[in-house]
Amino acid sequence: MSGRVWWRLAWRNLGRNRKRTLITGAALAFGYLAAVVIVGVSDGIVAEMIDNGTSLLQGQVQVHAPGYLPERSLYATLGGDSGMALSPVLERLRELPGVTGAAPRVLGGGLVSAGSQTSGAVLMGEDPALEPRVSRLMAAIATGRAPEEGTRQVLIGSEMARKLGVGPGSEVVLVAPAADGSLGNDLFTVSGVYRTGVRELDAAYALLPIGTLQSLLALAPGRVHEIALGLSDPWTAAAVADSARAVLAAAGVPADVRSWPRFRPEIADYARLARASNWILIAIVFAMAVFGVANTMLMATFERRREFAVVRALGTTRSGVARTVVYEGLILGAFALVAGALLTAPILVWWHRSPPDMSFLYGGFTMAGALVRPVLRVQYSLEAPLLAAAALLVTAVLAAAYPAWRATRVPPADALSDR
Amino acid sequence: MRGSDTHVTDPTAGDRTTPGPSATAVRTEGLWKIYEQEPAPVEAVRDLSMEVRAGDFVAMAGPSGSGKTTLLNLLGGLTAPTRGRVWVAGRDLTELSGRELARLRLEHIGFVFQAYNLLPVLSAMENAEFTLLLRGLPTAERRERVRTLFREIGLDGLEDRRPGRLSGGQQQRVAVARAVVGEPALILADEPTANLDSATGDALLGVMERLNHERGVTFIFSTHDPRVMERAHRLVHLVDGRIESDVRPSGRGSTA
Ligand SMILES: Nc1ncnc2c1ncn2[C@@H]1O[C@H](COP(=O)(O)OP(=O)(O)O)[C@@H](O)[C@H]1O
Ligand SMILES: [Mg+2]
Repeated sequence: MSGRVWWRLAWRNLGRNRKRTLITGAALAFGYLAAVVIVGVSDGIVAEMIDNGTSLLQGQVQVHAPGYLPERSLYATLGGDSGMALSPVLERLRELPGVTGAAPRVLGGGLVSAGSQTSGAVLMGEDPALEPRVSRLMAAIATGRAPEEGTRQVLIGSEMARKLGVGPGSEVVLVAPAADGSLGNDLFTVSGVYRTGVRELDAAYALLPIGTLQSLLALAPGRVHEIALGLSDPWTAAAVADSARAVLAAAGVPADVRSWPRFRPEIADYARLARASNWILIAIVFAMAVFGVANTMLMATFERRREFAVVRALGTTRSGVARTVVYEGLILGAFALVAGALLTAPILVWWHRSPPDMSFLYGGFTMAGALVRPVLRVQYSLEAPLLAAAALLVTAVLAAAYPAWRATRVPPADALSDR
Repeated sequence: MRGSDTHVTDPTAGDRTTPGPSATAVRTEGLWKIYEQEPAPVEAVRDLSMEVRAGDFVAMAGPSGSGKTTLLNLLGGLTAPTRGRVWVAGRDLTELSGRELARLRLEHIGFVFQAYNLLPVLSAMENAEFTLLLRGLPTAERRERVRTLFREIGLDGLEDRRPGRLSGGQQQRVAVARAVVGEPALILADEPTANLDSATGDALLGVMERLNHERGVTFIFSTHDPRVMERAHRLVHLVDGRIESDVRPSGRGSTA
């Protein structure tokens, strides 16, 4: 019934010492800005890691025949020895929500040699039309072109090229044990050289058109070792993996479906750690703010001791006195939140759209085995701004709680005491 | 030495504006207030029993430190007695919870303070209507009551001013309005004229007299000022926390 008078008093009292109110509010607003931006940068680093750790090569969800992992036997193709009808299954996988692409792959171990130099290699057969929607290896070409389906062309990494002393146009010999027990070997032309910056990747993989590799390994066209899925949001991987499992079951293809946190646990661990440290960071930022705000509010309430005594004498209950102080905190928090959001939004948008190139500071470096490009892009999320907003309001109320309690302890008889 | 209480029920002092000649606004019985402090406890009010009729206009005089403020605090339920009892509007304050006391103050007691004690962030109107707001009265009624009162006591046109832009006398009149507007049975005022020059103090006293006379509000106020004492209907002298004399100067407060 009389709630409005407490809001009014709270509001007017905030206007009483504008400078103090402004400074306190600004501290909260900057706390909000700091929390949201730092979490955004941290999320950006994590997103970059996941992207690089999965999109360069593996994809975010992988499908294999049961038992293919970890030995990666040449014979353990999807659908068994007879293989499977690929296109309808790929079609259905692509149609799953959040899936950007589905690409089949053939994998085998082999040797690549040029002249007297030989290098061990993972031979990877990819569909040049489907693969770009799943992984970026073919797009990371430093020189030359991607291999063309129906030709004997191979794309190799920069480390392997250096070791073999070859480049685009060079001839190399590929030797690989084939499924029929023979030793497949043939003369190939290097179509191009890719470079990811991850040394192990750049030394290990030789990319061939999928049909070319199938004939080298004596595998029928329906036999593939892996189907990789690309996702628009890597955090949906577990759910997509479930749907993919259902698609394969419906197609009668026994399958082992894994999402990236399973095959890149180190990245998942880092992401979890980063997330936990985000919350800790928000907690620290606002815990510091609590003391600052509580201190100024306490000062403000001490200055109004007599007024609290007066309103008590006039018939206000203790809770009425407490309410007006808490409302003051809430109003301050709400304004700080609006100011903080108005301040934060453009910074986030700018930072997301045009991430500063940090290569002057550091080159591409690897973190948990994943390439991190030298850009510092903030990642939007709804979670961080909402959580920081809640933290800000809780901070404001917590900061008001002790001063409010102190205000209720002012004896009403103080109203009559001589000044 | 408490024999002077007999004056309280002086039958010659009728009052036409109160519900009945014997209605009691305030009563105390064996009231003590002892402040525990070093080096020795202070007995601010000592075994004080008195009764104030509804509609009376009582001044409490006495030297500084004689217990006037403490007694007003006790009568208003702002502080608890060490011993004894206080009744206001028929209710024993010592038996009420903090919440009940707050409610009783809100509905039955008005305060006027020496230092005015208006809330600086509220306008004169908002200060005056404060207790009505707490009681949840509708805006129109609150405004109407305050306006009428402001007209009566010469505060017309000052409704929107903040206390900082009012003179001392005006502030004290707003404070009186704040105390009166809820039509409490009792108004307690602690040296209400002490901060005012004598002309302004006179005027304020006039306002209080009118409210007492026309609305039947009971006033109990403390004062140092002999000219204020002269205008009281009943004059209680405190010394060392006790009533030293309690007189009803002839003619005043009676119908004659
Ligand atoms: N809160 C208090 N704590 C301790 N002593 C007090 C307190 N209030 C008043 N006193 C003491 O009680 C006595 C009466 O004070 P008070 O009621 O203020 O008298 P008056 O209003 O007549 O000047 C004085 O000795 C004063 O020092
Ligand atoms: Mg006093």
